[in-house]
Amino acid sequence: MNEQENKRLEELLETVQKPARYIGGEMNAVRKDWNGVRCTFGFCFADTYEIGMSHLGMKILYYLINQRPDALCERLFMPDADMADKMRDAGVPLFSLESRAALNEFDIIGFTLQYEMSYTNILEMLDLGRVPIRREDRSDQDTIVVAGGPCAFNPEPLAPFIDAFMIGDGEDVMHELIDVIRNGREAGLSRMDILKNLAKLEGVYVPALYDVEYNEDGTLKSFSPNDPAAPAKVKKRVVKDLSGAVYPEAIPVPYTEIVHDRMVLEIMRGCTRGCRFCQAGMLYRPVRERSMERLLELADKLQASTGYEEMSLSSLSSGDFTCLPQLIQALMDRYKDKRVSVSLPSMRIDNIVKQSLEETQQVKKSGLTLAPEAGTQRLRDVINKGVTEEDLIRSVTDAFECGWSTVKLYFMMGLPTETDEDLQGIGDLAKKVVDAFYRVPKEKRAKMGVKVTASASVFVPKPFTPFQWAAQDTIDMVHEKQAKLRQYLKLKNVNFNWHESELSMLEACVSRGDRRMGEVIYAAWKRGCRLDSWNEHFKFDQWMGAFQDCGLSPAFYAYRERPYDELLPWAFVDAGVSMDYLKKENEKAKRVETTRDCRHGCNGCGLNTWGVCDWVKNPPLKDKPQTAAPLAD
Amino acid sequence: MKMIVVFEKTPRLRHIGHLDLMRAMQRALRRSGLPLKYSQGFNPHILLTFAAPLSVGMPGKREIMEVPIEGEMTGEAFLEKLRPALPPELPCLWARPVDDRHSAPMAQLAAALYEAELDETPSGLSDAVTAFLAQEEIPALRKTKTGLKPCDIRPMIYDLSLNSGKLRMCLALCEKATCKPDLLLSSLFEFAKLPRPHAIVTRTQMFGKKDGAFYPLEEM
Repeated sequence: MNEQENKRLEELLETVQKPARYIGGEMNAVRKDWNGVRCTFGFCFADTYEIGMSHLGMKILYYLINQRPDALCERLFMPDADMADKMRDAGVPLFSLESRAALNEFDIIGFTLQYEMSYTNILEMLDLGRVPIRREDRSDQDTIVVAGGPCAFNPEPLAPFIDAFMIGDGEDVMHELIDVIRNGREAGLSRMDILKNLAKLEGVYVPALYDVEYNEDGTLKSFSPNDPAAPAKVKKRVVKDLSGAVYPEAIPVPYTEIVHDRMVLEIMRGCTRGCRFCQAGMLYRPVRERSMERLLELADKLQASTGYEEMSLSSLSSGDFTCLPQLIQALMDRYKDKRVSVSLPSMRIDNIVKQSLEETQQVKKSGLTLAPEAGTQRLRDVINKGVTEEDLIRSVTDAFECGWSTVKLYFMMGLPTETDEDLQGIGDLAKKVVDAFYRVPKEKRAKMGVKVTASASVFVPKPFTPFQWAAQDTIDMVHEKQAKLRQYLKLKNVNFNWHESELSMLEACVSRGDRRMGEVIYAAWKRGCRLDSWNEHFKFDQWMGAFQDCGLSPAFYAYRERPYDELLPWAFVDAGVSMDYLKKENEKAKRVETTRDCRHGCNGCGLNTWGVCDWVKNPPLKDKPQTAAPLAD
Repeated sequence: MKMIVVFEKTPRLRHIGHLDLMRAMQRALRRSGLPLKYSQGFNPHILLTFAAPLSVGMPGKREIMEVPIEGEMTGEAFLEKLRPALPPELPCLWARPVDDRHSAPMAQLAAALYEAELDETPSGLSDAVTAFLAQEEIPALRKTKTGLKPCDIRPMIYDLSLNSGKLRMCLALCEKATCKPDLLLSSLFEFAKLPRPHAIVTRTQMFGKKDGAFYPLEEM
C-alpha cells in the first residue's frame, strides 16, 4: 500500500465500527523485512478478525511459514461491511495486518476454507485486494491463489477462482508448495508451468488441468485430467506423527475480544467414533494423539509467550483422549500458581475434576455443551452417535453436582429417517436434563437454578460422509418441523434456538456443488451477497436470483437423493475413507445398525491400507467400556 | 512496593479502547514473570491502575500506570523484565519504585499536555488563538452523563499555542475539572469562524500540581 492509501486508511479507521480489528500490532505478530525474504505469503481468512483469530489452523500455518528464513506470512481478514464499503470508496486495497501490504503484493495468497457460506467473502476479498477474481484472468505477474482446509475436499465450487487446492493436513504440504512457487518465480516460469509443477505434489489439485463434462440431466458425465502433470486421483496429505509436527509456541494475542480468546492445545486430530453425518470425523482420519510430553512442553511455552489466563483442549472428541485424566491433572498442577484456568471436555467432569474443584477455582465453569444430535435412541443409532441417554444424564448430573448450571444441547433436524417421534424426543431429553438438575440435593447444586438451551440446526449432507447421497429436507418441511419443535420445547428452564433454514439449504448446495456452482457464487457476489453467515447481511433472494442467472436449480443440489452410480464432483479426491465403506455405512444406517468406535477394533474404513493409522493394530477389545460421549466442539 | 511505569501507546494502537489496553497490559505483566500482586476474590486479576484512561483514537506518548509488586526491585530491573513482554507498538519507557503509601498517580493528576497535528493550518488561526485566550470567559457545552451542560472552560486552559501546524494545549485533567481536547478544538474553531481541519491529537505528558506549580506526573 502506498503512502497516500495509508493516509486514507488512517482517516477511515476513525469512522468505522470496531477499528481495533484492522490495526494488527499484537504481541507475537511476526514482522519481517520484505526485502529479506524470497517468498511472501498472504494468509487469508474469509471472515472477520474475531472469527479468524479464533481459528487454530491459521495459527499453525502462520507459525510454520514464518519459521522459514526465506519466507514471511502475514494475515488478512474479511473487513466488516462498513469497512469494505469505505475502503472501496476511498481506494484503499485489502491489506495485511502486519505491514499493511496490499493483497496483490504477495507472491502467494492462501485461503483457509472453513465454511461454505463464506465463499462470497473470498470473492469480495480478492476484489478489494485488486486480484483478478477468475483464475483465467490472472497473468504471469499476478499472485498465485491457493486454498486448503476441510471444505477443500470438495474444491469444485471454487474451481473458477482458485489456482491450486491443498487437500488434507496443511502443515504436511505447505513447505513443498512454497518451494515450488518460489523456485518457479525465481526461474521466471510462466504461471501455467508453476501450476503444473504444483500438480505434481501429492495432495495438490490444480483445476485448470482437469476437464468436466455433464449429462443432459445435469449430473456429471466425466471428470478427467487434460495434462500429464495432473493425477487422476488427488490423495489427501496426512501428518503421520502429530507429536513431531510443527505447533505454534507463540500465537498473536489480540487486543480486542475475539470469539475464542485463549490458548488452545490441540491434543489430537481425528475421531474414531464414526458419526455418519460428521464430515470432520471422516476427513481427519486417522486419529492421531499428541504425546503428553509434547503437550506439556507446548502448554508451558504457550503460557509463557501469551500470558493467557485460560487454556482449552481442542480435538473433535477430547473425551476420548487416552491420557485425558493425567493431562488435566498435570495441567492443573502446573498452573495452580500461575492462575491459568483450564476448560474441560463437557462429558468428563468426573471424579478427578470434582477433587480439583474443591481445592482450587482452576476449572472454568463456562457452560456445558453436549451434542446428543438426535432425540431418540433409534435415530442416534441411525447416525451412529454413540451416546445414550444414560451417558448424557450421568454427565450432566456429575456437572450439576460440581456447581454447573447452564447446559447447551445441540440437535439436528432433518436427519435421514426422522419422524415426529424423534422431534418429540428432543423435548423429552431437554426435560430430563432439567429434572436431573433438580434431583441433585439443594446444597450441592447451583443456587440460581438450571438453564438449558436446546439448539436445532438443519442437517446438511456433506461430501465424504455416509450421508453424502442423501436428500436434504425442503425449506417448507424444515419450517414445519421447527414449528413443532417450538411446541415440544415450551418447557420451564428451557430455551430453544434454531437456524435459518434458507442458509442451510444454500450450504447443502455449495458443499455438494460442482464446478457450475462457482458461477452461482460469482453471480450472488455480483448481486451484492457477502458476509452471508451474518444474519444482517444474508440476502436469500439474491442467491435465488443467482441460481436463475446461471440456469441452475437449488433443488437439484440440495433436495435430490443421489444414486450410488452417479459420478460425484468430489470423487476424484482420495480422502482415505473409501466410497465402498461410505456406502456400507449408509446401508447400515437404513437398517438402524451401529458401527463400533474403531478404537475397539478396525472397521476397515479405507485408511487401514495407508499405513498411517495406529489403531489398525488394535485387536477388538471385548470388555473395554464405551467411554463417555464427545463434546460438541 | 509499587512501580510507577511510563509507557507509550503508539499511533498504531490509538484505536484500542481502555479496557482492551488494560487487558493487554495485564497479559504482558503475566508474560514478564515479575512478582505481581493479585486481587482477592473469585476471579483474581493483576492489580494495576492507569493514571487516566485515554480516549479511543488518541495516542499517548508518556502514559502512566502503577503496578504493585511483591518485594523490592529497581526501576531498571523491572523494565528489563517487562520490555520483552511488550510488543514494539506498546513500549515501556521508564519505571520508578515507590513506597506502598505513595499517593496514586490518579489522585495527583492535575493537567495534561496535548498536541494536535493539524492536516492543514487555516490562515488566521494564529491570531485567533491569541484572541481566544484573551477572553475572560469561554462558554462551552460540556458532555456529561446527564446531557450537555454549559460551563466556562477558560480556567481549565493553562496553555495554548500554535507552532508549525501543531496546536499545543495544556488542559485541566482531574476529578474536579476536565477539559477534553476535542471540546477545546471545537470552541476554538467556532470562535475563530474557521473550518476545523482533521487532526490526530496525542496526549504527550501528564502533570501533577504542587505548591501551585506543575511537575511531570511520573516524578511526583
